[in-house]
Amino acid sequence: MNKFTKKTNPSEDGAGTGRTGTPWVAGLILKMGVMMIIIAAAFIARVHLNDKTEQLAREASEIRKQIEEKQKEIKMKEFELAQLKSWENINAKIRQYNLALHAVNPSQVRYMKRFEGRVTTPSLYGGDTRVADTSAGTMQTSAGEIQ
Amino acid sequence: MTLFRSMAIRMALVYILLICGFGYVARTLYTVQIARHGELFEKAQNTYTTRIETHGTRGEIFDFDGSLLVGNLPTMDIIGDPANIFILNKKDEEKTETECRMIADFFEKHCGNINSDEVFRRLKRRSITSTDTNGEKKEQDCHYAVIATGIEYETAKMLKEKVKELSFHGISFTSSYRRKYPKNTMLANILGLTNVSYDTFVPIQGIERSFNDAMTATSGSMVYERARNGRHVTFANSRSEPTLDGYDIFLTIREPLQAIVEEELDLMCERVKPHAAWAVLVDPSTGDVLAAAQRPTFNPNDRTTMTPESSANRLSELALEPGSIMKPFVISYALDKGFVTPGSVVDCEQGVWKYAGRLLHDTHNVGKVPVTEVIKQSSNIGTAKVSVMMGAKNLDTALRSFGFGQKTGIQLKPETSGIFRPLEKWDSLSVSRFCIGQGIAVSPLQLARAYCMIANGGYKVNLRIVDRIERGDDVRVMPVIKERKSIFANPTTKKMITDMMIGVTEAGGTCTEAAIEGFHVAGKTGTAQKVINGQYSNRYYASFVGFVPAEDPKFVLLVTCDDPTVGSRYGGSASGPTFKAIAERTLKYMHVQPQLSREEWLAERSAAQKALHERKVREDALVQARREERDRQLKAEKTKETAKRSGATVASRPSSTSSAISTLVRR
Repeated sequence: MNKFTKKTNPSEDGAGTGRTGTPWVAGLILKMGVMMIIIAAAFIARVHLNDKTEQLAREASEIRKQIEEKQKEIKMKEFELAQLKSWENINAKIRQYNLALHAVNPSQVRYMKRFEGRVTTPSLYGGDTRVADTSAGTMQTSAGEIQ
Repeated sequence: MTLFRSMAIRMALVYILLICGFGYVARTLYTVQIARHGELFEKAQNTYTTRIETHGTRGEIFDFDGSLLVGNLPTMDIIGDPANIFILNKKDEEKTETECRMIADFFEKHCGNINSDEVFRRLKRRSITSTDTNGEKKEQDCHYAVIATGIEYETAKMLKEKVKELSFHGISFTSSYRRKYPKNTMLANILGLTNVSYDTFVPIQGIERSFNDAMTATSGSMVYERARNGRHVTFANSRSEPTLDGYDIFLTIREPLQAIVEEELDLMCERVKPHAAWAVLVDPSTGDVLAAAQRPTFNPNDRTTMTPESSANRLSELALEPGSIMKPFVISYALDKGFVTPGSVVDCEQGVWKYAGRLLHDTHNVGKVPVTEVIKQSSNIGTAKVSVMMGAKNLDTALRSFGFGQKTGIQLKPETSGIFRPLEKWDSLSVSRFCIGQGIAVSPLQLARAYCMIANGGYKVNLRIVDRIERGDDVRVMPVIKERKSIFANPTTKKMITDMMIGVTEAGGTCTEAAIEGFHVAGKTGTAQKVINGQYSNRYYASFVGFVPAEDPKFVLLVTCDDPTVGSRYGGSASGPTFKAIAERTLKYMHVQPQLSREEWLAERSAAQKALHERKVREDALVQARREERDRQLKAEKTKETAKRSGATVASRPSSTSSAISTLVRR
């Protein structure tokens, strides 16, 4: 049979499936529509995401700028603090306010023992000192001991 | 058939067209993707990608406890865009000129040291002529004209707002920073300074120079795709090389101690008006430099205060003849090797001794005294005699074992190793002169290190001024370099030499001014003639060095006064009081408990005073007895002569005075 001959009977096509032209086109359009909707949705989602990313990047950039500004301000404060803490400045203030300050005599200084894994709670009633050994999780009491 | 043929022809045509089309596309694809890929890719990349260089910040310098000594002060540079000013003024020449003049005047008014005419000239220059690689001259728009640099952040912020208000065109503010020294002159000679050359810090001296590599930030870069408005397209490809800030330097210096030393040094300069002065405070157990100051000095924030005199780092770069402060090293070696004991008697020849054809003098006339008194009274002759007894080889070993002729290991550049001739180049006089600090040149830091060795029991320790370097979590601690073996073979040597040095600050010593209530102070004075044009002059280095508490030293302190012009020129009088003042305040700062109560201390002092008085009485009696003996001998000779003339003979008999002298000497 010649391939280029026109079909005269539509029922001959489709090897007896019984489909008519209209539902077949509708099905195809539907399928393509769904696919296009999916593609469009993906595209829109991607654009939206990119836009969102861009927006966030802009915000991040602004925040970064603000951080930089703050860091500069902190640095300025550090310099101010260093200048205020310098002996030159302290000495000038002592003279300005005529403060009769003098260095402490070493005999006036008493050292306390360092905490070594123990927390001390001064007793409210008398000389007992309650000592909590945090490493062992137990409580000890030693009379009159200053930790 | 006609229909079919016509269809076939059309189909063939379509096929041909499609083939041609595909062929063209394929050819274009080949050209674009393969043949010209490199060129086109680069062109495209240049259009949509940007590469920016990022720079970290230079490391800062802190004291041991983290107090800022040198930092990066945020500043801004103000840049003009001349071409843009012209365009934004609708290319109106007159309007542009007026705006340029307004901008220049505005910045002159607010930024201080800016010449408005100069700024105006720069802003008016809209184009520049450049020569390309082919040698062709090209006219280009000028987009960069510096208006002001290093404007402080707060000022720049205010200016930025004003520029916005006044709607000046083509003005931009770029961030930068400059080195700032918040403590001004404090520690200036040690910290050093930097210059700026094309956005790069060039270190000049001090820690800034020694640790330049560690402090220098590494540059990074970022390559990213940009949108039409120039913004970074975040979802596109980008790559970046990280920028690393420089390491922060933490010194061993304690700022409060440094302030004490600087303040007392200033007071000393007011008191004795020296040519220069310096002091260094060192922890003998670790070699940590706790404070180091010198006068004259400079303010690194104000370069007009810099002179060659004020900017030199005398502590590590100056080599000077130390004078008597060398004596304890020789005596300690002699004690250690058993050449002498503290009680060995040395004849100090009453102040004049001839050795190798040259006279050697003492400041005070000293007779036969034990070695302890040689140190206490700082006898040149006594020390020289001990040194001669030891021999040149032993003296060389002694001085080298205390680190003379070698660098101290401090992290400062440059550092002198002093002048100490090798043994084979010594002359006959060297053995009697090196031991008293003549003919040998040492740096103040070498002296401080050598005294650290006496104070810590003979352990050689390298000096340290940098404790650690830090960059975020990356912390590198500079190790304490200390030899495990003491140079003293005899464990009692340290005590023997320390006891002798304590005598220096007690009654009869050369520096009672340095005594501190409640403490034993071990020290030594030094008064060295300055060598000017190869000759000894009548100018002096007056020094005092010591450690406190003598039995368990917390620090070694060296104070030197270069050519005191008011008051005494001696080390004890010029530098001793300053030593005392610094040491007292340092002990209080360190909360070092006094070893003796006030009563005990006073009792010790009065006992030493009494012993001195007794010794003086004994010496006076000895001198008197000698004088009497001499008179008696002269008288006897005269009698003899008279008797000779008269022919009579006089029988000689031992005198009672001679026996008295021998009794006194024995005592």
